[in-house]
Amino acid sequence: MGNLRTGHLVEGAIWLSLCLFLYAYSFEFDQGIEIYKFGATAWPRTIILLMAIAAIGQLYHHWKYGDEISSNIINAANDDGSEEAAHEAHHESLRWYLSTFALLVIPFAYMRIPDWIAGWLEADGSTLHVLRMVIAVILIGLFITQMKRNMVGAILALPLFFAVMLEDIGFYSLAPFFIVGVMFLFGETRPKPMAAIMGLIYGLLLLLFVKILFVGLPIGNIRPFYDFGSWVVTVLQ
Amino acid sequence: MEVFNNFLTGTITLFSDPVGILIFFGGVIGGMLFGAIPGVSMLTLAAILLPFTAHLSPEHGIMLFSVIYCTGVYGGAITAILFNIPGAPENAPTAFDGYPMTQKGQAGKAVGAAVMCSAIGGVVSCIIMMIATAPIADWAISAFGPPEIFALVFFGLAVASSVGAKTFWKGWLSILIGLMVAVVGLDPVGGIERYDFEMPYMLAGIHFIPTILGFFAVSEIFVQAEKKAIGSYKAPKMGVEFPTLKELLAHKVAVVRSIIIGFFCGILPGIGATLAAFMGYNEAVRWSKTPEEFGKGKLEGVISSETANNAATGAAMIPLLALGLPGGALTAMMVGVFQMHDMEPGPLVFMNSADLVWVVFAAMFFANVSIIFVGYLETKTIINLLRIPFQFLAPMILLLATVGAYAVRGLTIDVVVMFLAGIIGFFLRRSGYSVAGIVLGLILGKIGEQTFAQAMQMLHFEWSGYFDRPIALGLLIAGFLTLGGSIYGSFFKKPKSPSADPAS
Repeated sequence: MGNLRTGHLVEGAIWLSLCLFLYAYSFEFDQGIEIYKFGATAWPRTIILLMAIAAIGQLYHHWKYGDEISSNIINAANDDGSEEAAHEAHHESLRWYLSTFALLVIPFAYMRIPDWIAGWLEADGSTLHVLRMVIAVILIGLFITQMKRNMVGAILALPLFFAVMLEDIGFYSLAPFFIVGVMFLFGETRPKPMAAIMGLIYGLLLLLFVKILFVGLPIGNIRPFYDFGSWVVTVLQ
Repeated sequence: MEVFNNFLTGTITLFSDPVGILIFFGGVIGGMLFGAIPGVSMLTLAAILLPFTAHLSPEHGIMLFSVIYCTGVYGGAITAILFNIPGAPENAPTAFDGYPMTQKGQAGKAVGAAVMCSAIGGVVSCIIMMIATAPIADWAISAFGPPEIFALVFFGLAVASSVGAKTFWKGWLSILIGLMVAVVGLDPVGGIERYDFEMPYMLAGIHFIPTILGFFAVSEIFVQAEKKAIGSYKAPKMGVEFPTLKELLAHKVAVVRSIIIGFFCGILPGIGATLAAFMGYNEAVRWSKTPEEFGKGKLEGVISSETANNAATGAAMIPLLALGLPGGALTAMMVGVFQMHDMEPGPLVFMNSADLVWVVFAAMFFANVSIIFVGYLETKTIINLLRIPFQFLAPMILLLATVGAYAVRGLTIDVVVMFLAGIIGFFLRRSGYSVAGIVLGLILGKIGEQTFAQAMQMLHFEWSGYFDRPIALGLLIAGFLTLGGSIYGSFFKKPKSPSADPAS
């Protein structure tokens, strides 16, 4: 086994599985092009082959040298302390990864579950909106209960949750809650500074992008968020 | 003399028009600010402004974008140095040494060097651009076809694989991920859908602006979050001690070398300032007597990268104006500005709109000069951003990035893509991969595939055709030698011990 650890094997397995998947999927578009004899697959398959070679090379490096840094590298990626931070925080355990994965699933659940249920119930547009709100409340509750156990995982998942809800709730209604959420996850608990900073950031963004640059941000498509977003835009522009 | 007269005419036209002056200074300050605010970039500003240029005259529209280009490339260095968030890919190598300098309390010195060298690189590049546009464009047209451009992309990627990641293999894997992401969408020759997973959004490919924002800005927030969670987050130390003239003069060779590298990388269509910065940095390491000090806060690293990327800005205008080929993202947007005014960049612009060309040249020259003055003043303001506690800065950066990702195409899915890229970038950074390598692969991937296809069609699918093209052959050989050297080093050279590396 040399200096290989389980983590190295998992990393290698992920890369090789990815190569296998990408190669298998390339048959979906394996079509000839009249003026180009290499077709549409030659370029991606070459990249996949190089990826597989590099993944094996990486495994060899781990086997021979463990986690040591190559001597011919202009070292930078490990200078930001991200690896050390992960190590110190014990964020390399399977339990942490599973907990983070569970948090990251929540935004995707919001993207998919309402449509599945609506399809199953054959619901119309307004019912789908109600359904989306009900599921959003349930998922937010689930997120809050989970985040206390894994704050870093929650910081990874919160922006994604914010992004998937933008279409429905809109930037104008969602941004204040997002600002407060990020500050809280970064360890800020004092209500007054949180409220002041939230107001400042929200006000600056509206002033710069809505009032001065006329950037159209998502206003949402579910009432009353849609009405609020439209009202903000009307007032500012 | 004719060049000087044209330049004078352009300058008078630029500064005799109050609207032009307003747009010029708006572009200078806006480019620097958007380049310097973490989470957004000059591309964000350009994307936001693009629809509004329809209301401006063609001169003002193109001039605004060229000014934003010059000052934005410099502005991106400020975030690279202060927050380890390059404002644009061309500032990525600046962060390699700039950020460690900030951590050592030398932020002011690093920013000062960036100010001086960006201005020097940009001004020299502009002067050469004005003098040599016609002959260089003629040479590039005849000497650089698709085989040469593909060979240069290959060489650039081979060089970049040894920068930024923990091992050579991780460097390559980072670049290959970027190349793979660039494959998503329609194939450049036959228009066949690839890796679209039957999602209409994927047909247009994954846009590089959300991806760049995710990999750089968002993943940085996540890394800081983890540090904060374990209590190891340290606010960067501040300092406004600018480098002395003596220190700058001591690096004159690096400056001249980076100007040459930057100019020649910038002039080649599709390559732009990114490769210039990487090559400028890499050559500084190769020529240095103390290469082991790079990546740990060496002033020469900042100087080389910033001189090269600004030297590329003037040069990048040559293929755009002479051939209609954009050298990067921002020059691609300039093509959009031309098209909005029913114009096509290319040789005809020189014949039909010489005034426009010289106003743009004059504006770029003065934009680079203004970096010295406005840059110093603005830097002192921006350095105060470091005083803001990160828990207050983080939501601001994330929301600015959200607006930046959304404003490009008005799609919320771009925001989702950005945050997904941020999460992937976070995990890859923890494992020693290079996010700069991914972004470089993403940007050069499309150009690489397109020029490879064109080259092979040109050479009738005969690889031996490369032997008849000495520049392409030379670049390919240089790329293979670089790769071979890296592979040899990874197998046979004893690695550095992490404990022996003070940066670790």
